[in-house]
Amino acid sequence: MARRVPSFLIAAGLLFAWMLFLPRPGEAQKFDWQMHKGTTIRVMANKNVSGEAIQANLADFEKLTGIKVQYETFTEDQYRQKVLLELAAGTGSVDVIHTATAQEGLKFWRSGWYEPLDEYLKSPRLTDPGFDLADISKPALQGNTYDGKLVALPTMQQTTMLYYRKDLFDKHKIKVPQTFAELEEAAKKLNNVEEAGQKVVGIVLRGKKAAATSQWAPYLFGFGGSWLTKDGKPAMNTPEAVQAFDYYGRLLRNYGPPGAVNYHWYECVSLFVQGKAAMYTDVSNRIFFFEDPSKSQIVGKIGYAMFPAGPAGRKPTMEVWSMAVSSKSKKKEAAYLFVQWAASKENILKMQMKGAPSVRASAWKDPKFLAEQKHKDWVEASLKSLEIASTDWNPPIVAVSEVRDEVGAVIVSSILGENVKAAADKANAEMAKIMEKTEGK
Amino acid sequence: MELLRPFGRPRPTRKMLADAAYYIGVVAICVPFVFVFYWMVLGGLKTQVQNTASPPLFLFTPTFENFRKVFVANQFLKYIENSFMVSGGATLLALALGLPAAHAIARHRQRGVALGILVARMAPHLSYVVPFFILFQKLGWIDTYACMILTHLVITLPIVVWIMIGAFEDVPLELEEAARIDGCSRWRVFTRISLPVCRTSLATATILGFIFSWNNFIFALILTGPERRTLPVAVFNFISGDEIDWGGLSAAATMITLPILLLILLVQRHIVQGMTAGGLKE
Amino acid sequence: MATQIHSEASPPRASAPGEFLERHFGRLLPLPAALSIAALIIFPLAFNIYMSLQAWFVSSTTPPAFVGLKNYVEIFGKDARFWNALWVTVKFTTVSVVLQLALGLAIAVYLHREFHGRGLVRTVMLLPMVSTPVAVALIWVIMFNPSLGILNYFLACLGLKPLLWLGHPRTALPSLILMDTWKWTPFMVLILHSGLQSLPITPFEAARIDGASRWQTFRYVTLPLLRPSIAVSLIFRTMDSLKTFDTIYVMTEGGPNNATEILNIYTFQTGFKYFHIGYASALAVILVLFVFAVNLLLIKLRERSWSY
Repeated sequence: MARRVPSFLIAAGLLFAWMLFLPRPGEAQKFDWQMHKGTTIRVMANKNVSGEAIQANLADFEKLTGIKVQYETFTEDQYRQKVLLELAAGTGSVDVIHTATAQEGLKFWRSGWYEPLDEYLKSPRLTDPGFDLADISKPALQGNTYDGKLVALPTMQQTTMLYYRKDLFDKHKIKVPQTFAELEEAAKKLNNVEEAGQKVVGIVLRGKKAAATSQWAPYLFGFGGSWLTKDGKPAMNTPEAVQAFDYYGRLLRNYGPPGAVNYHWYECVSLFVQGKAAMYTDVSNRIFFFEDPSKSQIVGKIGYAMFPAGPAGRKPTMEVWSMAVSSKSKKKEAAYLFVQWAASKENILKMQMKGAPSVRASAWKDPKFLAEQKHKDWVEASLKSLEIASTDWNPPIVAVSEVRDEVGAVIVSSILGENVKAAADKANAEMAKIMEKTEGK
Repeated sequence: MELLRPFGRPRPTRKMLADAAYYIGVVAICVPFVFVFYWMVLGGLKTQVQNTASPPLFLFTPTFENFRKVFVANQFLKYIENSFMVSGGATLLALALGLPAAHAIARHRQRGVALGILVARMAPHLSYVVPFFILFQKLGWIDTYACMILTHLVITLPIVVWIMIGAFEDVPLELEEAARIDGCSRWRVFTRISLPVCRTSLATATILGFIFSWNNFIFALILTGPERRTLPVAVFNFISGDEIDWGGLSAAATMITLPILLLILLVQRHIVQGMTAGGLKE
Repeated sequence: MATQIHSEASPPRASAPGEFLERHFGRLLPLPAALSIAALIIFPLAFNIYMSLQAWFVSSTTPPAFVGLKNYVEIFGKDARFWNALWVTVKFTTVSVVLQLALGLAIAVYLHREFHGRGLVRTVMLLPMVSTPVAVALIWVIMFNPSLGILNYFLACLGLKPLLWLGHPRTALPSLILMDTWKWTPFMVLILHSGLQSLPITPFEAARIDGASRWQTFRYVTLPLLRPSIAVSLIFRTMDSLKTFDTIYVMTEGGPNNATEILNIYTFQTGFKYFHIGYASALAVILVLFVFAVNLLLIKLRERSWSY
């Protein structure tokens, strides 16, 4: 009996030792881009700079991971509707969605359509060690967080910017406007001047109802207004808001193109690249088009400045476009690989080189970028604006789409020269009704 | 305006002048209707710069780049295939279901079915979209041929039935009676006598049903995704991100309208009769 | 037994299914169609009614909640946008149809004559009618462009001021009506043309003998005789005009500022932009009832016009 005990002990000891070296569950594999090789995922994206920039680099992703991507883009209004439709259907037909959380984030989150990414980011198996989350803009990440959960990884960050025609400013000896008053002065002086055989309008802005509201917001904040009052009620008919409506509409009515009420950003960009407008305020990624000789007739003639200050100061907004994983996707890990790649250092830098303003500090500081980027004023204006920008380009509520339509109606009224106060009162009342119906749903 | 042929013996020169004036009037009437198509084709042949020229260009050097782009870069062939499959399928199904129904209504007084068809023709397509969306979602049939063909039945079935009711009513009863006397079953009468006699109306019904299904936009907008998207929705892709690609848009519009215009040439004589059949009679 | 005249149609073998088919032919024949209709039409209608009694925002966390007639009460009582949509629909349909009828009549009468190229003209007339609405609508958008479009260019050539067309609430609906008229006047022309073709000669001979002027002939002979054709064209055109969606959605999406938002479009926005499915279903039910009411009214009016 005494002899058996030692062998038993040795066996147990060997067994124990062997178990010590068994791989522990949860930290099994290392990160490998190729771990879902051969899958196919479906991505839906908006046809804007961010969506197109990522699309241009798809071959990189497919080579890196062996995952095939069905990438679909739609124009902005159509995109919003299509993505909503597919997610509402709940069949998991889409794996990755391109999302502007400030527009739809709250609604999508409350509907349970986003897949929270925190666990994925923490897992060494699923996230590339070189990902460097800290490099990504904090406000952008903050904007993508609901109830403490991060729902999407940002890929492009744009702020409000003033674009102006350097050549016209030089010719007519006009300083770059720093305030709203100066902006109006400049628009007045430059309206209807002749240039290269065509008439130029003083300024072009979005005028198409809901589309205009996001670019009107910086004016709202510049006049000291806000979307909601301190107790969360609509603030669309405060004196500051009415001033903002009035100013915006006045600019377009007096110094803008005819038919401005139908101008989405596609039309604004089109007019500007044909050289028919002296100034334009919109998001900062338009440089993507303006400096492309195949599309633009004004290459090299554009100046980039910070959005002017109103009585309450300079209040540019920041608009972030991110990639998110659909909660009903059947290929969540492969989808996450895509999202991760889209927000990775390499991809972000590549997009930034083409003019898609990025969310990563490293990309802005990259020496190659700084050397090649000819438009130092753009870089400077972007960086300075990003420091002070707010993410509230939409009211922080659920029914953003409906409210944008109501607020947009006031903007249209203002452009047409109708009674702004009356329209603002009406919109405010409607907004209250809508919020009552939809907040908390 | 003369409702009868001119009678009497007018002098040749005055008549020729009057005739010439008349023809000018005819051309003047036709021009607005044709102009839009002319402008569409022209737009497809212009570059972006030419398309946004002010004043508009009538003379310019054409380019085929837009048409090439439409085919190559935008999967147009796939969309054409989808449109064909959906419209073809919906039309064939409508024939299979509708021909017997129309015959029954014409000969056997099935008023209930007739009323149902009328209701189908009246109701705006919008009222179908939400229910079909939710139904096909549950079945997982969104973005499939099955879903689109069944939905388009709402368009093609009423057209087929409506036209064929009038056609069957026109088949002389004696013809059918004679065949019955010879011992033909009703089914044989239907397939061997009634149908062949209505050949032309049948062609009209088929082509009209196909055309209206081809042209439909709202169903494809909501019920298709990337795989089964049809042409009318695809043309939307041309309101592109950087600028409005007028050349591409015009080229796409031309490509979509062309098959229809060609089909029309085949049945132009019978279209009107087809579109109002069953209405002029009571 | 009489000899067989039609040799292809030989008598069938007597079989039970064959006999069953024979006897119930009239009822069996439309059965497949009837079933499809039930599925395709009754189901959506019933579903719309069912959904209209719920409040649902298509979010997966809150299921539909039964609210009875609350949606309807809100639509009729508190929804100004609904009444606007109804009014725009009435405006659009009435003006379009009347305009198309008047123009169609004028053109049909003008073309009612033997002339060379009649077939060609008829083909030309067909083109707008059958062309894909979405495609031509987008071309019209290009033509309507205030700065670069060809329509303003034509106006300028005639010495007139340029218009904003789709860019201003007051001109947007007329612009759409113009486009609709371009598309559908040929339809009226062709119906009225066949109507004219089938008119008897005698009344016209009588009028000529009585020395009636052209206008008098037109007013007292042609028009009354054409009443059935006019009625048919009115009914079909109105029925289809109330269904308009594609062109308006693509050209203005109901804007600017809801100036062109017909009920069809308002329902679509509510359902597929805001995703208030319950409310949208109620709107859809109201839309369908409205369309039925108008069509029924027209058909009743026509039945009365048969007696003259």
